[in-house]
Amino acid sequence: MALTAAAPPAGRVRISTFARLKLRVLGNNFRGQGWRIALFIVGSLLGLWLAGVAFLLFLVSGYADSDEFAVIAPALGGAGLTLGWVFLPPIWFGVDETLDPARFALLPLRRRTLVTGLLVGALISVPVLMVLFATSGMVVAAGARGGPAAAAVQLVGVLAGLVLGVTVSRALTSALASMLRSRRMRDLAAIVLALLAAMLGPLQIFVLSAAQHTDLDQLVRVSRALGWTPLAAAYTVGTDAAAGTWWAVPVKLAMVAAVIAALLWWWSRSLESAMLGATGASGTRRRDRAPAAPGGAVGALLPRPLRLPASPFGALVAREVRYWWRDARRRANLITFGVVGIFLPLVFTIGFGRLTGLDEAPTPPPLAITLSMISVGALAAVTLANLFGFDGSAYAAHLTIPVPGRTELRARAVAYSVYIVPMLTVIAVLISLLLGDPARIPAMLGGLWAAYGGGLAVNQIISLFGAYALPETTNPFAVNTGAGVAKSLLTLLSLVATAALAAPVALLAALSGDAWSWLALPAGLGYGLGAAALGSYIGGDILDRRAPELLQAVTPRR
Amino acid sequence: MTDGEHAALSLRGLVKRFDDKTAVAGLDLDVPPGSFFGLLGPNGAGKTTTLSMAVGLLRPDAGGAWVLGRDVWHDPVEAKRLLGVLPDGVRMFDRLNGAELLAYTGLLRGMERDVVERRAAELLDVLALADAGRTLVIDYSAGMKKKIGLACALLHAPRLLVLDEPFEAVDPVSGALIRDILQRYVTGGGTVIFSSHVMEVVERLCSHIAIMAEGVIRSVGTLEQVRGERPLEEVFVEVVGGRTATGQELSWL
Repeated sequence: MALTAAAPPAGRVRISTFARLKLRVLGNNFRGQGWRIALFIVGSLLGLWLAGVAFLLFLVSGYADSDEFAVIAPALGGAGLTLGWVFLPPIWFGVDETLDPARFALLPLRRRTLVTGLLVGALISVPVLMVLFATSGMVVAAGARGGPAAAAVQLVGVLAGLVLGVTVSRALTSALASMLRSRRMRDLAAIVLALLAAMLGPLQIFVLSAAQHTDLDQLVRVSRALGWTPLAAAYTVGTDAAAGTWWAVPVKLAMVAAVIAALLWWWSRSLESAMLGATGASGTRRRDRAPAAPGGAVGALLPRPLRLPASPFGALVAREVRYWWRDARRRANLITFGVVGIFLPLVFTIGFGRLTGLDEAPTPPPLAITLSMISVGALAAVTLANLFGFDGSAYAAHLTIPVPGRTELRARAVAYSVYIVPMLTVIAVLISLLLGDPARIPAMLGGLWAAYGGGLAVNQIISLFGAYALPETTNPFAVNTGAGVAKSLLTLLSLVATAALAAPVALLAALSGDAWSWLALPAGLGYGLGAAALGSYIGGDILDRRAPELLQAVTPRR
Repeated sequence: MTDGEHAALSLRGLVKRFDDKTAVAGLDLDVPPGSFFGLLGPNGAGKTTTLSMAVGLLRPDAGGAWVLGRDVWHDPVEAKRLLGVLPDGVRMFDRLNGAELLAYTGLLRGMERDVVERRAAELLDVLALADAGRTLVIDYSAGMKKKIGLACALLHAPRLLVLDEPFEAVDPVSGALIRDILQRYVTGGGTVIFSSHVMEVVERLCSHIAIMAEGVIRSVGTLEQVRGERPLEEVFVEVVGGRTATGQELSWL
């Protein structure tokens, strides 16, 4: 560091500094961490495979005999990508906050410089490379249709679409994070998430009906319409150029630029709160000087409605129940699941109705319902895959006591279920009422509980071996560099393993036919409870042996 | 077995390597029962690593730790029952308020409800934390956090207290209070080992000290044995091999 050099005047910081900083942090992160490199490679290969498939699809569309596919592929593919940038970070991946905005709070940077720099930092990532690879298929396809000029236009469009995608994911998670931090805005954040998930509905219905009817003319019309929305505008300029409608190109690009500018402005607004949040690292600040509850310390800890025993188990359940609500990170997970859990089966069943082309709500076969319930149940338990990561270094307190592993796992599963079981019940009741068939409630609950119980077992074990540290930032969606890959792989593993565990129940549902409607509830409940109990029994032994290693895994590196 | 037969804490041949760096390189230490033991060392000497291995938070690559004769790594339940720990740089379950955190710690240790209630109220009172009411621990000041951490470590009346940097970032008022409580604890027959690099505190409190640097103990004994006739700071700098500024550097300041 050149301490002798005079400090540069504010505003002259080069954007490339951010790019170099990001690369350096990425590189340092791998130093001496063999498993991180391995994980990175596995994740990259997976991404490369997906990107390669998408690349080929886009490429083929350019050489197809009919013009329709050349219109449809970039429009639908582009819209899908943009929606992916919107939905996947808050629901699935988290955001890579290698360049945590809070770290820049003390530097004399103009906001414009900071936002641009952070954007450049965000653009330097593996997912961005993968998307670029996939969408380069569009460029080649446009070139095949309209020559080099169309290809050049499409290249500009693809790049603009990428910037739009990254910007929207950053702006959205940053805004949601700052909402979830404040108690007043928390409910609003839940509503925003709900609306996001609700928007999945029409899309899924559209895709399903498209797949069913393959009405090309209709698809082309929809694709053309999508091309005039920010979702796919950037990706369709090459199509317009190839078709000779050159006037559409500048209009669409101008629209995309305007949307990007608006999103950047929105992002810079919520950045401020993220930077200030760093000084008080708490999720909720409260200075409540009211005297402690009259019941004494123990009475204050154990929530009265739960009637918990004054034992290690009771204390753990009480603390976990409080944490699921008091910790912004956990709360974000709970809210996200609550929203997704209700909308996923809803979309599925309503989509099913549209699919069959009937106006009346049809009655999907029981097996289909059981399967959709199993997926929701599995999703409910996924949150626990990094259960100890939420605690971070605070878990050290349990080691110095020491807390028996089985008690630990059992109590944590029970505390999470205090929130999830009512949610699952609401989901089952709501969906069956919407289907106009309350008699299905037992079958749905059976499927949900069986899958959730199996998911608890799976995730209790995963949480012992796959634990990773969460960054100590105020953004509940933030993950460490490279942890995004770990998180998605673990989630995938957890879902697959849970589905496998729940398979016997689905099989039973298929084989027992009508008898399932009354067999489902006891069978599902018994199976779920049994699986969860077995999970904490086996996991408890492992935890007793591995506790110090687990603590190391969840302690953030400084 | 009585306390007299065993050292309050013995460490034998402790080794810990991180990647390419050896943090603790074969460390032996005996803390006599009833002593007020100061573990001194510059930043990065391996104090926290040593204490973490001593209390069962970090698995050593080699060697072992015994608390009053109980093996921390092979008989953890018995050893940890006798042990109270205040780690440094480790978060607490800080989204609970003070009373909740104490109740949580007490119940997790399997203590009776009324014992937890009584001791928690008393500790909050003595440590001047009762005023904080329902303020969450995360919103406590640094000094208050140290104090509630100490209360958690004391709650089950351990025979040995292991404190990592108990006076770091603590204001003089809280510091005096913590000193007072620790002295009373030692007078009552307990043993304290704490790490620090503040010479004044160590000279004022400790009966025994050990100076460590680069992962090994460089000097150990009673305060008088280690210090001799000189000020402790001088001895410390000499033992760890520090250097003094010549006045040539930083001339641009």
